Amino acid sequence: METTLTLNHFLAVSGALFAVGFAGVLLRRNIIVIFMCLELMLSAANLSLVAFSRFHIGADGAPNYDGQVLLFFIITVAAAEVAVGLAIIVALFRSRETTDVGAFTAMKN
Amino acid sequence: MPAYTLEIIVVCTGLAMLLIDAFAKLEDKRSIAWLGLLGIGAAFLLLFKVEPHTAGVEPESAFWIFYADDRWALFYKGLALLATFIVLLLSAEFEEVVRRHIARPGPDAHPQAGLGEFFALPVFCCAGLMWMASATHLVGIFVALETVTISFYIMVAYLRRNAGSLEAGVKYLILGALSTGFLVYGFAWLFGATGSMELKAIAAALRSDDVNTTAALFAFALILVALAFKVGAVPFQFWIPDVYQGAPTPITAFLSVGSKAAGFIVLLRVAQPFLESPAFAEKTALVFAIMAGATLVYGNLAALPQSNFKRLLAYSSIAHAGFLLMIVAAAPKSGAPDALSPAAAVAFYLAAYLAMTLLAFIVMTVVRTRQDSEEIAAYRGLGKTSPFLAFCLLIAMASLAGIPLTAGFFGKFFAFALAIRAELWTLVVLAAVGAGAGFYYYLRIVAEIYWRDPAHEDGSGFPIGTPLKIVAILLMLAIVAFGVFPGAVLGLLAAHS
Repeated sequence: METTLTLNHFLAVSGALFAVGFAGVLLRRNIIVIFMCLELMLSAANLSLVAFSRFHIGADGAPNYDGQVLLFFIITVAAAEVAVGLAIIVALFRSRETTDVGAFTAMKN
Repeated sequence: MPAYTLEIIVVCTGLAMLLIDAFAKLEDKRSIAWLGLLGIGAAFLLLFKVEPHTAGVEPESAFWIFYADDRWALFYKGLALLATFIVLLLSAEFEEVVRRHIARPGPDAHPQAGLGEFFALPVFCCAGLMWMASATHLVGIFVALETVTISFYIMVAYLRRNAGSLEAGVKYLILGALSTGFLVYGFAWLFGATGSMELKAIAAALRSDDVNTTAALFAFALILVALAFKVGAVPFQFWIPDVYQGAPTPITAFLSVGSKAAGFIVLLRVAQPFLESPAFAEKTALVFAIMAGATLVYGNLAALPQSNFKRLLAYSSIAHAGFLLMIVAAAPKSGAPDALSPAAAVAFYLAAYLAMTLLAFIVMTVVRTRQDSEEIAAYRGLGKTSPFLAFCLLIAMASLAGIPLTAGFFGKFFAFALAIRAELWTLVVLAAVGAGAGFYYYLRIVAEIYWRDPAHEDGSGFPIGTPLKIVAILLMLAIVAFGVFPGAVLGLLAAHS
């Protein structure tokens, strides 16, 4: 039986990626791992954008490139976010010597 | 002069501040802040010289797909500029505390080393806020929102030697990045459902019959989660108290005003196509109503037992988000378009919120600089030691509570009026309970400052610099003026439609 890849296949993978990332943010205790999971969620969005872009064929037969434009901006912004985020995490590690999020409780009322 | 000149001026001011910090030998780095004030002030004055772009007259450039310069955009640009101006003044005042909490790179380094960026970042953030007010394309909205959010990550965590500030920075970072993930995933689905990134085209697609309802609603839910994080709506409000408490005080002020206004601009722009489309209006309005009710109850009740003034204002900001969401929920059923529009009510509420919150934060910054505490107990007897600051707080708290003849009263009044016109009775009752609780916890502060004896008996007050004093007086005048003549602000919004 011959099968072709449809939009739904891509969306399923991207949905799974998003779910894995989100679950990681909620469940993991190590802040570096949490940060990696956040990047997974952005990748999931990127995959969806490319898939939607490829399957939205315009009148001229070309894909709708808007989605791919947003993707490049997402990659750039994610890089900026990582640069700032890791700097903050390093500063925190220097003062606490731990990457466990359970240790950050200076402000409980 | 086209509107985007303003953003260019603000970005150039920020770059100039960074360059001067890097290359000029300054005696006092606070002069960088004065330069920023100059640039922001100039941009604010030029705001009144903007000639709106007229569609169809000049050769259409693709630029106007990405950028709107209608009166709403200009109004929010003005708010962003005003907020940044006051925050820069506060940052200059706060210089001493920042210096205490960041490490000097070496014994012979400049005593204010590492302070230049503290003044430059709010300016870049302001450019992001201004762009967001105009963005009409999902790419523009995303980039502007991230400009604001990423500068806030740095500003919140700026006090590197202060455990609270770092921890607040990490919490804001993780939850902010999480909401970004939801936002872009939502944008991807919105693009998939409608085939466009332009808000106008999205609105047209949502009104047509051939849109996939499930996909569009899924996109809406994801975007709503992200924006609820930004504005601090229940159930995504849990980061607000910790981050507000840990961040440097001027940055908390900026966060509560700038970040909230930014969230609501984007919320209004993105939700509008859904609220106007007959197929989606009822479902989306219901979600907003539930969210507004939960936010009102949570924000107001959780504020009651607070003993830290900054934390109290954090819960108060959640409560105000509830009133703003109530306006959004009432939008589809608010009746004739010639009457008070929901967008105008939101704009008025945000303007009033800006004035009263910044006034409270001016007092808080002055007190925090002289006395290392933000507990409410530190404000006891302020009426005897510093009558001017106490009077500022009195006006701010009265307006936040919504006492008549203040701007806050009309903000709440419009919210109630729209909700009653839309017949959201449950929401009106919850809002009334919330407003009642608000009277208690805001006026408790007033009681502390006027009817209790000072905590320290030396009787010395808190001196306040002349520029800050002038700004505080202007803010008080604005609060009372908006409270007596609310039509002036609404007229400004209707003037050049």
